[in-house]
Amino acid sequence: MSEKTISLAMGHDHRGLSLEQEKVAIEVRDWNLFYGKSQALNNINMDLPENRVTAFIGPSGCGKSTLLRCFNRMNDLIDSVSVEGKMHLHGQDMYAKELDVAEIRRRIGMVFQKPNPFPKSIYENVAYGLRLQGVNDKKTLDDTVEWALKGAGLWKEAKDRLNDNALGLSGGQQQRLCIARAIAVQPEVLLLDEPTSALDPISTLAIEELIFELKKDFTILIVTHNMQQAARVSDYTAFMYMGELIEYSDTDSLFTNPQVKRTEDYITGRYG
Amino acid sequence: MERKEFGTHVSASYNQYLEDLFNLVLEMGGMVEKQLSSAVIAVQNADVGLAKEVIQLDKFINREEIEIDRLCARVLARQQPTASDLRLVISAIRIALDLERMGDEVVKIAKLVVHLDKIGSDACLNLQGYKELIEISAHGTDMLKDALNAFSRLDLPSCAAIIQEEEKVDVIYKRAVKEVTERFKDSESDIECLLELIYALKASERITDHACNIAEIIVYLVNGKELRNMDSERMAEMLNELTRS
Repeated sequence: MSEKTISLAMGHDHRGLSLEQEKVAIEVRDWNLFYGKSQALNNINMDLPENRVTAFIGPSGCGKSTLLRCFNRMNDLIDSVSVEGKMHLHGQDMYAKELDVAEIRRRIGMVFQKPNPFPKSIYENVAYGLRLQGVNDKKTLDDTVEWALKGAGLWKEAKDRLNDNALGLSGGQQQRLCIARAIAVQPEVLLLDEPTSALDPISTLAIEELIFELKKDFTILIVTHNMQQAARVSDYTAFMYMGELIEYSDTDSLFTNPQVKRTEDYITGRYG
Repeated sequence: MERKEFGTHVSASYNQYLEDLFNLVLEMGGMVEKQLSSAVIAVQNADVGLAKEVIQLDKFINREEIEIDRLCARVLARQQPTASDLRLVISAIRIALDLERMGDEVVKIAKLVVHLDKIGSDACLNLQGYKELIEISAHGTDMLKDALNAFSRLDLPSCAAIIQEEEKVDVIYKRAVKEVTERFKDSESDIECLLELIYALKASERITDHACNIAEIIVYLVNGKELRNMDSERMAEMLNELTRS
């Protein structure tokens, strides 16, 4: 009997994941980013796996949020930013000149640190992206709003108050509403930039649980300052330092036996 | 990796927790070392009084294991250790378990002395197997001492030496058991005494196994590599690597 058979027979398989065996969603090659003359990202190379949660950790200013924003071209909005290198989403060049940026942002949704619902009803918040795409059919909108709110774990709390103003929700509910809004347009990738740093511990756990559910349908990239959160929710972790990708591996390995001393010093809280 | 790195966290209380953990494991190890070396003397001199002291020491050793478990639980709950810190906590729990079992085995050796005195038999004392019991136990004492030094200094070449030493002990053990079992055929032998000697021999061999386990745990602590259940070829490769490190 093979080791795998025995392990499966016992109903558990705790052997780690391996990047080599994953299907790639986003491929990053020789990626550099400059704010004017100052270089913020330095030669990043990585494959981000599909239907997995990849966490980006590192000290403030290490470039993790900057890199995350590259994935849906948010940095395009800053004049002084210039980039070099390749970034492909399922084989397609995300920085190709002819590409519609709005389309990339539909395929790669983003949720920010502070919940930012529109001052509209809960329903309209979720339906917003679809309406922007020209969808006006009531049945389609109703179905999608329900699906997205269910997906974001907010349906039970919100179904009887869909027409209430979204600003009346609690912080944790507002953040889940933002996730519902992001997934309503069926993106392929979901970017989460410190999505729980403004939330209380219970709301944080609800979002973490949600992340675990969402990875079945989406590829998730999360930036977090909370290392325990990265350890809890992610399959893979990337440690960045001063604009460089220092170590990138499956989360189990990175948190139990990192291969680079700088990673070890950071995650164990030692003087670097 | 050096031990002093465990004291370089930004949090001073975290540094203190890990330092306490090192010290507590070394303290427990020191107690077992004392217990074992006393047992060797008790066997050598058929010293019943000393053997009884060895048996009594065991309950203090058991208490140390509980202390280490408590401290590890506290570190896990309060500090959520990762990487080498996490491996230190896991290693401390595992080493404490091996030390506790080692103590139990030492008690078995001490009980031989008490038992032989009770039945008033000195037939065993001149057997080759009895001398080999002393030899294996003395090896065990050295291996434990080396393992504790290796833990204190995170010294990988010493770990490799301990693992290799255990193979030599196995040879002596097998020879001793064969010698004693041969005696069973002799109708004039004191069977009860021989049986007790076999138990004590087994215990002394188990002590060296535990010392070997501790060496393997230290390798895991230092570089995250798991030596348990490794096939002999891979193990030889690994030991070479450790000796060079």
